[in-house]
Amino acid sequence: MKLNKKVVILAAVCAAIFVSAAAVCFFLFSRPCGRLVRITSAGETVAVIDLASAENYTFEVTCAEGVNKIKIEDGTICVSEADCPDKTCVKMGRLGGGMPIVCLPHRLVIEFISSDTDAVAG
Amino acid sequence: MKFFRFFGTAAAVLLACGCASEAPVSRTFFAMDTVMTVTAYGSEKLLTQCGERIAELDSLLSAQKPDSDTSRLNASEGKETELSSDTAALLCKALDFCRETNGIYDPTVYPLVKEWGFIGGDYKIPDSSRISKLLVNTGFEKITLNGNTASIPAGFELDFGACAKGYAADELKKILTENGVKSALLDLGGNIQTIGCKSDGSPWIIGVADPFSPSESAGTLLLSDCAVITSGGYERYFIGDDGKRYCHIIDPRTGCPADSGIASVTVVGQNAARCDMLSTALFIMGTDEAIDFWRSSDDFEMLIITEERKMLITEGLSEKYTQSENYSGAEVIRK
Repeated sequence: MKLNKKVVILAAVCAAIFVSAAAVCFFLFSRPCGRLVRITSAGETVAVIDLASAENYTFEVTCAEGVNKIKIEDGTICVSEADCPDKTCVKMGRLGGGMPIVCLPHRLVIEFISSDTDAVAG
Repeated sequence: MKFFRFFGTAAAVLLACGCASEAPVSRTFFAMDTVMTVTAYGSEKLLTQCGERIAELDSLLSAQKPDSDTSRLNASEGKETELSSDTAALLCKALDFCRETNGIYDPTVYPLVKEWGFIGGDYKIPDSSRISKLLVNTGFEKITLNGNTASIPAGFELDFGACAKGYAADELKKILTENGVKSALLDLGGNIQTIGCKSDGSPWIIGVADPFSPSESAGTLLLSDCAVITSGGYERYFIGDDGKRYCHIIDPRTGCPADSGIASVTVVGQNAARCDMLSTALFIMGTDEAIDFWRSSDDFEMLIITEERKMLITEGLSEKYTQSENYSGAEVIRK
């Protein structure tokens, strides 16, 4: 069977779209699940961190109400220190598959972007 | 030609998959002393409406906002107070539930919540005479409500901390469903309301916080179209000078933090305000009384985790539940 030039070009275009779409799907679905963490302060994203590849370090998120010191250690994240009155964010410990870490007085939220659950009751 | 058809069809399918489902919209609000996230397959405008409604309810119901209905009622010195229809409706629901639980749920314990330091963060163990004195000024029976007019005796104070978020979830659900939203997830500070299923038709996967490690999940529930509300002593608590742990849920019978042996109780039902009040009451009741209460009811299911890390689940939920590795088998409670 002889293919004319137009059909070949069309097929090549379709093939290119197919390969690109497949590559995008592979990229999206092959990423490690539940390791991307978003940190928001007063509703604004201040950082997105991939715990799977993050090195150990500590940094501060400062807002008008105070400071939270955030610690990344061996692929985990927690609030190690805070100057909020109740210290609930520190008591929450490391972020896991349950509730996000929340510091209400500082309006800080640390949560997994993708996880095994859609929401956590608690 | 087959080569062309194959790639043509495959490319079209992949592109169609990317466009077929409408993207969800999501927004986070800080209100009612918590963080709330609404995610819906609907318009951004609806989320704005949800945010305005939450802010409105917060300004009406909060006992810590000086101009709220609740604060005006608490400062009324026994005089009749005109309430908004929202506050009156919620007070009516709360009073019905107080009667149903014989006062195990009672919004008038607010002075004791404050005395133990759970409002300002100045935690302390009050002496027994102080508790007895404050208990005199409690009791839902003394609240009167006629239409939108309420009165409480001088010295009484109430708050809607154990039902306001649930009521807000019911109200947001109304806004979303009346505007045609078929799929949404509301997380009002850990009080979850699901509307419909996920966009792919599968149920929502709702984790239940592990009371012994709240940033971990004790298990997951597969649910749609319901409220899921947990009460536990693991979030707001303090350790007293006596080394004992005191949680923020006050038992109206003693004026002290509840110590019933339950670490957390999760309630699943249709009405979020009722589930909110139920979770508080069941937590105070303790396991045996909570099971009796469930057996005499027909509008909710529950999952209890005891202080001994024992898990009990009612039969209506048992098939929908998968527990985490941290827990061994859950006992199924039957009618």
